[in-house]
Amino acid sequence: MEFEEYVSARGQELVRLGFTVSGDYQRAEDLAQIALMQAFRSWRKVRKADDPHHYVRRILVNEYLSMTRRRSFTEAPTADVDPHSTVPDPATGIVDSDDLWHALQELSARERVVLVLRYYQDLDDRTIAELLGIKPSSVRATASRGLATLRKTRQTNRVDERLS
Amino acid sequence: MSNTDLEDELRGTLDRAAASVPQATGLSDRAATGVREARRRSWMISGAAAVAVAAVAVTGFALTGGNTPEQPPVAAGGAPQSTAPTTTAVQPLSAKSVAGTWRATQITGTKALKSARPDDPVLVFKADGTWSGSDGCNGLQGTFTIGQRGEFAATSGPQHMIGCENVPHTGVLQSAKRIAVTEDTLTFAAADGHELARYARAR
Repeated sequence: MEFEEYVSARGQELVRLGFTVSGDYQRAEDLAQIALMQAFRSWRKVRKADDPHHYVRRILVNEYLSMTRRRSFTEAPTADVDPHSTVPDPATGIVDSDDLWHALQELSARERVVLVLRYYQDLDDRTIAELLGIKPSSVRATASRGLATLRKTRQTNRVDERLS
Repeated sequence: MSNTDLEDELRGTLDRAAASVPQATGLSDRAATGVREARRRSWMISGAAAVAVAAVAVTGFALTGGNTPEQPPVAAGGAPQSTAPTTTAVQPLSAKSVAGTWRATQITGTKALKSARPDDPVLVFKADGTWSGSDGCNGLQGTFTIGQRGEFAATSGPQHMIGCENVPHTGVLQSAKRIAVTEDTLTFAAADGHELARYARAR
C-alpha cells in the first residue's frame, strides 16, 4: 500500500481516534498529522508490517501521551491570545450534552487512552499493552480505575442535579 | 449501574463522539504536500551529494595530477616546490553541519531571550533534514534544506500557539535564506544578507 492510499483510506479514522483521546478537534487533527508525518519517514518499514494502521495508531496515542506530559500542555493561554481568532470546534457542540463524555475528560490521559482503545477501538488488553509499552496487568488496572472514576463522577453529577 | 451497562454506554458515547468529528478537509492534501516536500528534499540532498562527490573527485584529481610525469622538482631539502596555486578546501554545508541543539543568543526585534519559560526554548536540527524544538511554550517541528553554499529553506509543521514570551524560532527559520556556521555559532540571514538571528550551540 502506498502512503497516499493509506492516508485516503485511514486518515479520517486517525482524526477520530485523536478526538476520542484528546476531546479537542484541533488537537485531533494535529495528532493525526504528526502520526502521518512520522509514519512517512519510515514508510518502507511501516508498509511491510502486518497492519500498518496499528503502527500509525501506536504513534498517535503515544504522541498524545507525550504531549500531555509536557508542561506547556496544561498551560492556560494568556491575554495576548485573541479568543475571537480561535477556530470553533465543530465537534464539541455535538457531544456537549453527553455527561459521560464530560466525565471522560476528567480522567487522566492514560486512563482515557486505555478506555478509548478498549471500548472504541475494541482492542484486547494484550494489544493495548503492546501498543502502549506497558504490562497487560497495568492495562486492566488502569481501565478498572478509569471505569470506577467514571461511575463515581456520574453519581456525583446526578446527586448535584437533584439538589439543584 | 453495572459495569456492563457503563461499558455499553461508554461504547455508545465514544462512537457518537467519533461520528461527530467532521471530515478533516485537506488531510490527504496536507499529507501529500508533506510527501512531495520530503521527496523534493531527498532529491536535493541526492543532488547535493552528487555535486559534493564530483567536487571531491575534481579536487582529488587536481591534487594528484602533480604526481604524474609533470611532478614538480624536489628541492634539496626534500620538500616539493609546487608551482601551482594553493587550493583552499571549502567545506560544503549540509544538514550535518548544523546537526545539534542550538540556543538563540540574538534575534532581531526580540528582547528578553533569557526570560524564564515553561520549556527550554532550544532549536534542534537533525542530519536527516528535520528540525524540532520549543518556543518556550509550544513544541515546534518541521523540515529544512541547506545548500552547499549556505542557501537555507525551512518548513514548519502543525503547532499550537499558546501565548507566552515565545522565542520566534519559526519566524527566523521561515525568513532565513542563508546560514553561516562555525563550530559554535549559527547565523541566519535574510535574502538581502542582513542578519536575522544568531544561535549558539547548546550541547
